[in-house]
This record gives sequence, C-alpha cells and structure tokens, in this order.
Amino acid sequence: MMQFRLEKRREPSRFMLYATPVAAVALTMIIGAVIFSVIGYDGIGAVREIFLTPLTNSFKWQDLGVKAAPLIIIGVGLSIAYRANVWNIGAEGQYIMGGLAATWVALASHGAGGWWTLPAMMLAGMAGGAAYGAIPALLKTRLNVNEILTSLMLTYASVQLIYYLVRAPWKDPMGMGFPQTRRFASEALLPNIFPGTIVHAGVPIAIIVALIAWFIMSRSVFGYQMRVVGAAPHAARYGGFSENKTIWLAMLVSGGLAGLAGMLEVAGPFQRMVPGFPTNYGFTAIIVAFLGRLNPLGVIFAGIVMAITFVGGEVAQTTIGLSNSATGVFQAMMLFFLLAGDILVRYRLKRVVPQVEAGA
Amino acid sequence: MPNRLELSGITKQFPGVLANDHVSFAVKPGEIHALLGENGAGKSTLVKMIYGIMQPDGGEIRWNGEPVVVPNPKAARRLGIGMVFQHFSLFEALTVLENIALGMDAKIPSRELEARIREVMQTYGLLLDPHRTVATLSVGERQRIEIVRALLLNPKLLIMDEPTSVLTPQEVDQLFTVLRQLASEGCSILYISHKLHEIKALCDTATILRGGKLVDTCDPKAETSRSMAEKMIGTGLKDIIKPEGRRFGEPKLVVNGLTTRKTGDFDVPVADVSFTVRSGEILGIAGVAGNGQNALLDALSGELKGEEREAISIDGRAIGLMDTTERRRHGLCAVPEERNGHAAVGDFSLSDNSVLTARDRLGMVVLGLINSGAAKTYTGKVIADFAVKALGPAATAGSLSGGNLQKYIMGREILQKPTVLVVSQPTWGVDAGAAAAIHQALVDLATAGSAIVVISQDLDELRALSDTLAVINMGRLSASRPIGDFSVEEIGLLMGGVHGEEAA
Ligand SMILES: Nc1ncnc2c1ncn2[C@@H]1O[C@H](COP(=O)(O)OP(=O)(O)OP(=O)(O)O)[C@@H](O)[C@H]1O
Ligand SMILES: [Mg+2]
Repeated sequence: MMQFRLEKRREPSRFMLYATPVAAVALTMIIGAVIFSVIGYDGIGAVREIFLTPLTNSFKWQDLGVKAAPLIIIGVGLSIAYRANVWNIGAEGQYIMGGLAATWVALASHGAGGWWTLPAMMLAGMAGGAAYGAIPALLKTRLNVNEILTSLMLTYASVQLIYYLVRAPWKDPMGMGFPQTRRFASEALLPNIFPGTIVHAGVPIAIIVALIAWFIMSRSVFGYQMRVVGAAPHAARYGGFSENKTIWLAMLVSGGLAGLAGMLEVAGPFQRMVPGFPTNYGFTAIIVAFLGRLNPLGVIFAGIVMAITFVGGEVAQTTIGLSNSATGVFQAMMLFFLLAGDILVRYRLKRVVPQVEAGA
Repeated sequence: MPNRLELSGITKQFPGVLANDHVSFAVKPGEIHALLGENGAGKSTLVKMIYGIMQPDGGEIRWNGEPVVVPNPKAARRLGIGMVFQHFSLFEALTVLENIALGMDAKIPSRELEARIREVMQTYGLLLDPHRTVATLSVGERQRIEIVRALLLNPKLLIMDEPTSVLTPQEVDQLFTVLRQLASEGCSILYISHKLHEIKALCDTATILRGGKLVDTCDPKAETSRSMAEKMIGTGLKDIIKPEGRRFGEPKLVVNGLTTRKTGDFDVPVADVSFTVRSGEILGIAGVAGNGQNALLDALSGELKGEEREAISIDGRAIGLMDTTERRRHGLCAVPEERNGHAAVGDFSLSDNSVLTARDRLGMVVLGLINSGAAKTYTGKVIADFAVKALGPAATAGSLSGGNLQKYIMGREILQKPTVLVVSQPTWGVDAGAAAAIHQALVDLATAGSAIVVISQDLDELRALSDTLAVINMGRLSASRPIGDFSVEEIGLLMGGVHGEEAA
C-alpha cells in the first residue's frame, strides 16, 4: 500500500501559485460536465456553451469586455484590501453608492452639462464608494466592529436607497410611471470606443486601473504597507506601519474603485438609474480577486474568465435551456477548487515508503 | 541490549541544501545524547525525521534494533518517542488539563487523565495546577505542560529541540533534574542546545554535525565549552576584542521616568525607569524573562505609544512622543526578542525584510516608491558581513534556520549604524561562533561611538559584553553601575528581586 502525506514547504511554490487557478478552472469544467450529465442535461454541451462559445464566437467578445470591466475594477480594489487582511465584503454596496453619486451629478447637471460632466461623475462615483467604505472603517478602527458584517449589511441598506430614490425624488416624470430616472444627457454618457459595438470607455479604463494598481502594489511603500500588515501585523507595527491607517486606506481604495465601477456602469450600459442596477458585480468580484491571486494582473484574467461564465450562461440558457443558476454553480465550483487547491502552494505531497510500521 | 535508536545513512535534501548527509549514530537506553552544530547544520531537520514530521530521502532508522518507518508523529508516539518543541502549541484560553486532553491520541475520561497527570507531576516534581489557564503561566510552566504531555505516554526516547533558550536559570536547573531522573529510569534523551555549558553539565555523549554531516562524537564532560564550539565550527573560536581603556563620550540615550501602561492581562509594564547610556557604552539590562523587558523595548522603539515627550531623549532631543519611523530617522534602532512575525516577516524575502526597518535610514524610498535594487544590495551586504546562510536576498525569511535569521536581523540593524541600538536577547538560539560574531559587531558599533542597550537573561553574555549593568525586576530598573562592581551572586540576587536600595 502506498501512503502519501502533506509536508510543509519552506517556500511557497511559485509554480503551484499560478497552476492552481488554471487547474481550478479545468476541474470545474470536468466536474461541471459530470454533474449536469448526471442530473439529466447535456453536460458536455453546457460546459462547451458556457466556457467555449463566448471565446469562439466573435460576436460575443464585446459582451465579454463589457462584463469584465466592472469585475476587474472592483476585483482590483478588493485584491488590495484583502492583501491587508481587510475583509471588505460590501463592494456591492459601494458600487451602488458610486452609481448613485454619479447619477446625482448627471441629474443635477442635466441640460447644463459639458466636457466636465463625465470627469465630475467619475469623481463623485469614487467619492460615493469611498464614503460608503469609510463607515465600516470607522466602526472597525473606533469600536473594533467586524468589517465583514458591517460592509455586508450596508449593501442591503444601499439597495433600499435606490428603490426609494427612483420611486420618489429622482423618478422620471416622463417615464410613464416606471420607477427609474430619466435617461442621462449625452454629455453624461460614456462614449463608445469602437463605433457600432457596445464597448464603452470603461473597458480600457479597467485595464489601466489594473496596471496602475499592479505597479503601486509591487513597487510603492503603500503596496508594501498593505502586504506587510496582512502578512504579519506585529512586524508591521515594528516597521512603523499603523494598522488603523491601513484599514482606512484599504476600505477607501476598495470602496472608491467599486464606486468608480458603479459610475461606469450607470453612465455606460444602463444610461440611467433603475431598480435593477445592483447586478452582484460586487459579490462576484470577490471570486475574481481570489482567482486572480490578489494580484492586479491576475485579476484581469480572472475578470475575463468570470465574464466568460456570465456570457456563456446566457448562451446556454437560449441554446440548451440551461437555467441561469447554472452559472452560479460553475462560479462557486471554481472558487471551491481554487481554495482547496491552495494547500498545494504551501505543502507538497510526499510518498511514504511502505515498510514495517511499528516494530516494537 | 540493543541500541534504543540507531540511525544509519540518514539523508535529507531540500532544494538547494543537503540538510543531512548520511548521518549515522546510535543512542543507548538511558543515555542523554547531545546533538550539536552550527545554525543550519541540520539538527532540527534530523529530529523532525525521527519524530515523523518529515521523511528522510535515504537511510534507515532502527528502533530497539528493528528497522522502522515513522510516517507521522502519531506513529512516533506509538513507538514511544516523545518530542518537546521550542515553540509550544498550546491554547492560551484553555486550562492545562484541557490542553493535555486535546493533545492525546487516545480519548481518556478527564478524571482518569487528571489522576495520571497528577501522578506524573508527583513522580518528577513538575509542579503545576492542572486547572490553571495557560495564559496565566510563565514560559517555563508552559514548557512543563509539554513535558508532562510527552511523559504521559511513557516515552522511551524524549527529543528536546533547544528547550532552554527561553528558560530562566532556575527553570533550567529544575528541567535538568527531571531529565536526569528520566534517564536513570531508562528513557533516552536526545538534546539539542547551543548552550555548551549546559551540555557539559547534562549530557553523556555529544554528536556534532557540520553542514549536514556528522563530523565528530565526543564526551562533553571531557571537553571544554570552547573545544566543543571549535569542533562545531571547524576552526578556532575568536575572543571578543574590546579595546582597553575606552572612554565614554556624551550621553546619547537618556531615559527619564519612563512609565508604560498595562496593555494585556499578562504583560508587565515598566514603572519610572531612568538610565543614561553614553557614546561608546554598552549598558546591559539583566533580568528574568517576564519582568517588563518587552514593555521596555516596545516603549523605547516607539511601538508602544509614548505619553511624555521628555521621557526619552537622543542626543538631547526629546523623542518621547515620536512614532517608530521618526525615532529610527533620529537614529534609534531596536531588535525585539521574537524573530518570526515581529522582527521579520517569514513570508517575505530578506530584501523585503530589509525595507521593513532600513527604508528611511538608507534611502530605499524615493517619492513613495521602493528602490528594490538598493534593498537587494543592502541585504547582500548583510548576508556577506554576518555570514548568514541563505540562498540570497530573494530567499524568504522563513526558510532560514533560527540562528541564521537572528544573524540577519542583527546585521540589518547594526549596518544601519544607529546612534542608539536597543536589542533584546541578541543571541537566542545562535551558535557559539555566530554569537561571538554578533558580540564583536556590537562592541565595534559601540567603539565607533554608538550607545547600546542589551537586554538579556544570559549572565555570561552580559558580563562579556556590557560596560555597565542594571537589573530589571517587576518592571523596575535598578541604578546602573560599572560591570566590575557586581559579583555573580549579587546579579543573581538582584534578578530575584532584592533591590540594592531596598536591601540596605
Ligand atoms: N523545509 C525546508 N525546506 C528547505 N530548506 C530547509 C527546510 N528546513 C530546513 N531547511 C534548510 O536546511 C538546513 C538545516 O536546517 P535546520 O533547521 O535543520 O538547522 P538547525 O541545525 O536546526 O539550525 P538552528 O541551530 O539555527 O536551529 C538549513 O540550511 C535550512 O535553511
Ligand atoms: Mg533548529
């Protein structure tokens, strides 16, 4: 009988660090095919439609870009906060507040806008998200309240705020009773960068945000601070980094980026604020951040992978009648396999030579 | 009678390091066997394989004459092998009894377990209340739990990896009494330590490793500490060269009425501490661990936020309210006693660990960006000057052996040429050769004009190093006096709590 056991590695394995996300995606495809076959669907077809069609069908590429952009922007912010062990779970709420703040600018300047409208909306979006992220930071640093709970619960509050705003003060008077704001004026809408497609300016912005974040995280004192506070809080204090300041920075940056994503969505695909604005990007971005190994460059790829499952899920819905929740099953499986595979980064499998075991 | 344990040709290869290279030796029943070697010689690796934490790549382990494979620690315990680690795995919030129960392989009713624990404690004079919460226990008492835990299984071989580096001299004496009693009952003991006078006092045989190879076996009672150290290093041991007739200059560090608040339930704050260290002077602070040393170090380094500007000054400038970073800029560097997770980040490369404390003094940051080239160059210099065994500046701190990490940390601070350096336990877990090198580097730094404070409970170290000495007890510091004024007995008494002024 052959026996294996886990032995701690002295150094985390670089190879495994990058191999496990790839393996997690592959395993998800295999196990997903099996599961859906067992419950009576065309399992292979489901995997093909969800993971491959969005890539092979060039008409779907623009959808991929549009879906990936907010995931990447929010995921980058979360990857920075998670590095510092600040568990901001409420990016969805910060995304909503960013969208609402941008909407306010768009509505207030309606008819009086200009070239400055979009930049002003961006600033407002970031400020809105950051301000919403500041609440858990304040509660954590002052009263030591767990930021996981507060940031998550604030999300539900922000959803109610949309419902209130679009039903009463911001309701479009010409909207035939629909609970939604008026369509933004053209200065308040994101330009399309490829005419004839739906690819808006948010897509290149997402890539730029990720590149800047990567540079800052790997080269700057700010990035160092985030990493050292997360890896060894006691050593961070010895090195002169304040834990409270780090919590503030992490919440403001991750909240601000989620708010930016909210602004780009409302000024891009949505063009107005509607009750259906919360689309769970803020939650899905948590998976994106981990799948991207909390590295902004990895987050770009993870965001694309996650966008593939969204777009593919829609394809599978129409072509093979797979329910929309199948997408969620695949995404959750991916996170599960990733976290399970993570053990191989720090441990190695070692074979124990079989022999007499207990001689005495 | 067959040997209790016999190793033949044990080999263990790590990426880039051959940690054990065909090591063969035997331990007889009832023998206290020392395992000696420099930092990184492979001692911990070897005992981890005996205890089943790691698997050898080659060679054979024989137990009472039979070849065995030890796939995991549980199997080791079943064979009758117990191990006490330097770092304990205890739950602070639970009682002694609960901690022991959690560590048992077989489930025993708690009443029965308690009876057996009391019996073991009685037999070996390991006094401890099974219902005390671990958090209220001293380091020595915590170690007793681990020993009791091992003894409950009636081990035939007890492995101890650097058990005494955290113990007070009295606790060491008590431990040795227990170990001698165990040996007289036939239990073999495999004992790792860098404190050679302890080896002389305790062990029957010593096996010496160098670079993973067995280089010598000797009878410690027939050797001197120095001759054993030289066998370990393979060359002669250097003495500390202290220039005679040194003169001290201006006061560099002046501490005046420093008081800290109690931060946790079990830490000891310092009260009204005052002392002065002059340029060129090494002040030793002696004391049994847990008498406020940590609070003193944190208050000096700035980790513990100060409340009075005038309580600490450097070169006449009051720095009592400054934070860690500002204090470093003004020339005050500090090394806390805990290496992993406090003085260094295990998961970071050595280069990144240099950024932790040297970034401002050595200009590693320009416009908020880290100059990683500068960090790498500096780290390379630390590795070279302090003979740190590491694969290079990119190796993670956690991959270094305990002593080598300590050498790196000391080097990182000393090469910044601080005006004032405060170090706690500078040579814990460091081999004799490296300890001598660290001592020499501290003396050289003082000779070059810095003021140095060494907090230690190793009296030999303090006597070799310090110019003046003060004793800390229950958070209070005695007046400092030239080291020559103290007799050994007097220091011992002061550490026990009789202050000069109170005794008079
Ligand atoms: N898991 C591991 N992976 C890679 N290298 C390792 C591992 N464990 C130990 N080493 C290396 O093997 C060598 C021996 O290390 P070991 O911890 O056994 O030394 P040691 O003799 O106990 O030293 P010290 O006295 O400093 O504790 C060192 O070079 C160390 O860096
Ligand atoms: Mg060791």
